[in-house]
Amino acid sequence: TERSSRGRGDRKRKIHLNFTDLGLGYRTKEELIFRYCSGPCFDAETNYDKILNNLTHNKKLDKETPSRTCCRPIAFDDDISFLDDSLEYHTLKKHSAKKCACV
Amino acid sequence: PALAKENNCLNAAKACNLNDTCKKYRSAYISPCTSRVSMAEVCNKRKCHKALRQFFDKVPPKHSYGMLFCSCPLGDQLACSERRRQTIVPACSYEDKEKPNCLALQASCKTNYICRSRLADFFTNCQPEPRSLSGCLKENYADCLLSYSGLIGTVMTPNYLRSPKISVSPFCDCSSSGNSKEECDRFTEFFTDNACLRNAIQAFGNGTDVSVWQPMPPV
Repeated sequence: TERSSRGRGDRKRKIHLNFTDLGLGYRTKEELIFRYCSGPCFDAETNYDKILNNLTHNKKLDKETPSRTCCRPIAFDDDISFLDDSLEYHTLKKHSAKKCACV
Repeated sequence: PALAKENNCLNAAKACNLNDTCKKYRSAYISPCTSRVSMAEVCNKRKCHKALRQFFDKVPPKHSYGMLFCSCPLGDQLACSERRRQTIVPACSYEDKEKPNCLALQASCKTNYICRSRLADFFTNCQPEPRSLSGCLKENYADCLLSYSGLIGTVMTPNYLRSPKISVSPFCDCSSSGNSKEECDRFTEFFTDNACLRNAIQAFGNGTDVSVWQPMPPV
């Protein structure tokens, strides 16, 4: 099952959410588009990642499980502001992905 | 919640944050307008004003006016009217420690190139005319709203007053006007009790004057 899909696996996706869905504790009825990175990264793996994979498999690393190539944001969307139910403004920074890559 | 009343101002804010341009310039003014710079100052007013001017210069009227001129049900409905009042972040862009006399404020506006020209545009384009159907001498609501929104980010920055009917004013009053009391009252009434401006705001809010809505370059 560890077959890499064709092309670069990492992808940017978006979802339309209420601010309350973010679970950051804000009370507001405003909404936002949240963009995130998702997808496999096997294509981008280096010898380093292959070695880690083998070492983990052969139980040479004790209990450590170092992370391998991940699909992550390498740039973030513009800040977003909103007014909460007590008429206070808030601004979120680095909350949503602008560019994704396997890192 | 079943049959919750539509909040046009909330809907406009939602629409703004779903649009990349509006979202970007909205947070670009809210940030400086809400960042405390020292114990004495709640914000850097100059930066706040500049970012507000950018917002109205760069964001299409559909979104910027949508928030500024959203219509709220008659009487003061907190969730809607207060949200509309908060659009310009009045704690920073509007209120001040002392309320100046309006004629003194007008004089200080006239020393600034941007403020002087925008105030002149406002007086030209929102001139009331009781005999015209629109209530305006120049029957062009779009020009009136453009000139009004152009004042935001100058020392003449106007905002909605907490009043049952639509009434706006810069942050000033006519106390201690001396001999110029009448002149000062005339000046403030052009903001607070101007049928042309009120009709223009209402027409946009109700979507009744769609025909004149051409995106216009800022002055």
